[in-house]
Amino acid sequence: MSAPAIKKRALSLQVNGKRHGPLQVPEDMMLVDVLHDYLGLTGTRLACGQGECGACTVIVDDADGSREVRSCITGAHFFQGKRIRTVEGHAQRDDSGAITALSPVQQAFLDHFSFQCGYCTPGFINAATVLLERLAKSPVAASEVEATITEALDPHLCRCTGYVRYYQAVKALVLDTPGLVRENTR
Amino acid sequence: MTRVGWRRTIAWLLIALLLWLLASALLRFFANRGPLQQVNATPAQIAQGRYLAAAADCVACHTVPGGAPFAGGVPLASPFGTIHGTNITPDAQSGIGRYTSDDFFHTLTRGEARDGHQLYPAMPYVSYKAITRADSDAIYAYLMNQPAVAQKNRRNGVHFPFNIRSGIHLWNLLFAGAEARPASQGESPAWQRGRYLVDTLGHCGECHSPRGALGQVDRKRPLAGNNELGRFAAPDITPQGLAVRGWDAATLQRYLATGIAAPAVASDEMLTVVQVSTSRLRHDDLAAMTTYLLGDKPPASKPVQLATAAATALEPGRQHYLQLCSGCHGRDGEGVPHVAVALRGNSSVRDADPHNLVVAILDGLPEHDFPGLERMQPMPGFARDLDDADVAALANWLRVRYGAQAGSVQADAVRAVRTKHHD
Repeated sequence: MSAPAIKKRALSLQVNGKRHGPLQVPEDMMLVDVLHDYLGLTGTRLACGQGECGACTVIVDDADGSREVRSCITGAHFFQGKRIRTVEGHAQRDDSGAITALSPVQQAFLDHFSFQCGYCTPGFINAATVLLERLAKSPVAASEVEATITEALDPHLCRCTGYVRYYQAVKALVLDTPGLVRENTR
Repeated sequence: MTRVGWRRTIAWLLIALLLWLLASALLRFFANRGPLQQVNATPAQIAQGRYLAAAADCVACHTVPGGAPFAGGVPLASPFGTIHGTNITPDAQSGIGRYTSDDFFHTLTRGEARDGHQLYPAMPYVSYKAITRADSDAIYAYLMNQPAVAQKNRRNGVHFPFNIRSGIHLWNLLFAGAEARPASQGESPAWQRGRYLVDTLGHCGECHSPRGALGQVDRKRPLAGNNELGRFAAPDITPQGLAVRGWDAATLQRYLATGIAAPAVASDEMLTVVQVSTSRLRHDDLAAMTTYLLGDKPPASKPVQLATAAATALEPGRQHYLQLCSGCHGRDGEGVPHVAVALRGNSSVRDADPHNLVVAILDGLPEHDFPGLERMQPMPGFARDLDDADVAALANWLRVRYGAQAGSVQADAVRAVRTKHHD
């Protein structure tokens, strides 16, 4: 049984606010490879390659808001016409493209010394960003903050075991950002 | 009849009812008063009892995952409501501490508890009725030598009128006694042993046999599959049903022993069965079960056929496959060990009924932990990313390409499966 011949198809998508394409991309190529090899966006990390570790996570923005998608197991053509954000898209930049300010999540991870090798960090940044955006739309009760953060970060693996400091950084950010937490009703 | 005659009849009926209530109350009173049983058994007898309890799959319904062994509480969904497995530890109040071996054998084979109350047929006494007295006594000796756990039994959620337990006596009269037809042809000693393990101890037919309107097992079509019990259907495991989906003796035995074989991995409730029951059985017993399931003269298993030329009509489904499935199941359905099953020749893909395939696509699957160190990764559900027509297109691509099935899945059928979930 031979594999079917590789065919290319046109792909247009929006990454970090910038339109790309149409690109001629093999129909079975995963998004992470398009980000690396076609768009030169190498910040997204490929680690397990089977959707288990979360390092390759990108953000998809659609009508329902933002959500995480694993770019190593999701075909690039799934993103036809979609808007996505990668780790390169969070910081503020000036007209020359130089970074002027990090996003609150990025800054919190630096302030809390959350990572060592940093390989998992793009995934954690995107997961925490999606969480903050969700809480801005539907805040949680103060008593549920810890469980909510655990649930959001739990699927992401860090082999330097930076979990505690990632967790502390996100918790501090959630509690310090106005509008994300409801007072306990009882 | 005169008015006085009517009054007399009603009065006699009332007296009879009162006597019956009094009698059952007394029975219950004394049943709860009997002496605590002490069962002395040799380590060999207890080991034999443990083995038979595994073969009878007691844990699946009587032990909550992570809970005290045999303390009950597992909910069983049925079309008549939710029923809970009971405490079968030797606890005096909630468990079976006052049961004698006679009581135990009676309950196991007739479905009547020591205090006289009738069990729901969710307890598979209809299957267990052929358990030998020696095997019942061994299981009894094992259970009575387990730690007693004082855990109250949970209330059942059975709807009216099925919650009137006396009605089950009538049900028993109609359905419990009938001798089951064997699911295959055979007469060898292995086939006989396999029949006892599959039909009696393993009570496979309780899930895998179709049932009638009153929940009775259809004796004419043993093990022909049942899609009425849970989210997933229990597939057809008759010799013919297995053979056309690519099963043979070797793959079937590996599946029962490990949960992983070329045509499928065990999922959902069957994963529990493999974990707590079949993986703990000796290889000769698994071989006997396989012999019974396929018969003394097994039908030839149908080889996997890949459709070569992909029809244009299937192209949308192929694109969904490449975008959402191929990352884990492989570029062309070959699967990835320890991650995701091969879809080429997969038993659910080859099933004429697409139900389980559609459920898996919509709902996804949790992580699977198999006996030993083997595992499969969780699968996300695609109910959000794929609409009904998309799911039908994907299912049809998989069925035609990897399963030699017709691409006949319609969006309506997908919608029915999708909305059934939200009942």
